[in-house]
Amino acid sequence: MSRKIRIAVPSKGRLRDPCIRALENIGLNLRGESRSYIAEVSDPRFEVIYTRTFDVPLCVHYGAVDLGMAGYDLILERQVEVYELLDLGFGKCRLVVAVPEESEIRSIESISVMPRVATEYPNLSRKHFGSLGKQAEILAIRGTAELAPRLGLAEMIVDITETGETLRRNGLRVIDTILESSCRLICNKIAYRVFENEINELVVKLKNKRS
Amino acid sequence: MFKFQDFDGKIVALRPEMTTPIARIITTKMFSMPKPLRLFYICNVFRYGQSHFEKMREFRQAGVELIGSNTPEADGEAISLFISCLKTLGLKSVRVDLAHAGLLKQLLKDTNLSEENMSLFRRLLATRNMEQLESLMNKFSISSQIRELFLQLSNCKKPESLAAIAKNSTKFEKLHDFLNNLLEIRDVLNEYKIGDSVFFDFSLTRGIEYYTGVVFEASVPNMGLSLGGGGRYDNLIEKFGGLKVPAIGFALGVEKCLLALNTQGFVLPKSSECKILIASKNRKAAMEAVNLLRNGRITCLLNPENSNEDPIRYAKLCGINYVIFVESSIESPLIVYDVESDSKKRTKIEDFIESLGAALRI
Repeated sequence: MSRKIRIAVPSKGRLRDPCIRALENIGLNLRGESRSYIAEVSDPRFEVIYTRTFDVPLCVHYGAVDLGMAGYDLILERQVEVYELLDLGFGKCRLVVAVPEESEIRSIESISVMPRVATEYPNLSRKHFGSLGKQAEILAIRGTAELAPRLGLAEMIVDITETGETLRRNGLRVIDTILESSCRLICNKIAYRVFENEINELVVKLKNKRS
Repeated sequence: MFKFQDFDGKIVALRPEMTTPIARIITTKMFSMPKPLRLFYICNVFRYGQSHFEKMREFRQAGVELIGSNTPEADGEAISLFISCLKTLGLKSVRVDLAHAGLLKQLLKDTNLSEENMSLFRRLLATRNMEQLESLMNKFSISSQIRELFLQLSNCKKPESLAAIAKNSTKFEKLHDFLNNLLEIRDVLNEYKIGDSVFFDFSLTRGIEYYTGVVFEASVPNMGLSLGGGGRYDNLIEKFGGLKVPAIGFALGVEKCLLALNTQGFVLPKSSECKILIASKNRKAAMEAVNLLRNGRITCLLNPENSNEDPIRYAKLCGINYVIFVESSIESPLIVYDVESDSKKRTKIEDFIESLGAALRI
């Protein structure tokens, strides 16, 4: 194949720098301006595409890029069918349900009135509340869910947290964990067939350098 | 699936695929037909729900079913037709990956895992999460023989390499049979001279429960979605009435194939049909022109008398080739506007039709 193998990396957010570091650790040094969307890589077989974090799984599913680095939470939220070739070991976090400190609610089971839930993860939230037999009005929002309870937009939120610090600072208390996540190397199923050798080589290198 | 109630309270559904409806028709309406039976369809199907990520709710499938034969030759015929359909469409670098629906089921059965762990196992394999798969095998102390088979099958890419694996699996009788079945099919495909396009992919499951034998899927590079697939389903037809008939079939996603052609730079040819627009303030004369052209089997439209739309602009937007401006009669010469060359000329309508005939004959 003549074209380069495309790797999608989050363009912003907590995963961007560790992803770039992981690539540099195995000798894939990124060249090019920080503002452009495509970066050349020291190994001419690859190129890096900066993509919105939420869209990495989608790009991989449709084959717009061959490989991607994305949190497990987003792989499930976007309901994609991709190969999850490697747990990269960084970006560990939990997807949690949180309520304001002063709320009476101690657990999802103790909810009596149908709550409004603000979240960037509508699919996983709906599934979680459904699996516990609880109705909830899911408000799909973008950006900071933490603010929603204080504004009176929602009674609780579903969001990811690493240390719980941001939640605490916003006066929120965790009442349930939906899942544990970390950053994964994902791959388009057809691309894996076409570039199998190169991709396997990359997986082995990333695995060996994983901290 | 889209499911609803009709006016009698009966539950009805829109077909999510064609194989199951065909299986029903085979037992209820076509049971006396000589077998093997070869059927094809090009149909719209409807899907609703989470599992189908490509959110198109109505799309087209083109497929075939070969009913009443379970030989490797029948499998070979279906797979070879599958590949030649895609090549005939004009697609290049077509590749087919195949697996056997029984292989994974049997291997999982031999592990003695619980239902829940089996489905976890299946998910990890389908997402090629080899690391977690290995730790799962450690956790449940799966026997080294099964582990080895698992790894060999996961790493196997060409059907040829299955021969060595089959040799090592004589202890697992059923597994051994499935592998030999794939090898026989491989032989048939080699005789069809398409062995080069065929690969093995253990993680291929197609997500359909009714498959019992070989399953397969087609793809082209630079298009991240599979174009379609199929497989052998020997137990499906009997579910509709006890008639035990083996069968194999495949379906191609029509929209996916079009998308794939697009990514390979294929341009659909323009329609060669000549279209004409009649513009006139005089209805009687315009109708005479329309009748004359339509009698000559030429496609023409009448621009409404009171239309404010500029007929030339309309013709350009709608892919019309000529606009004929008719005045009070079609006896006198008319102005014919040629959209492609953006030019007007005055001519008699009979001469124009004749020139059109000459142009169409080319």
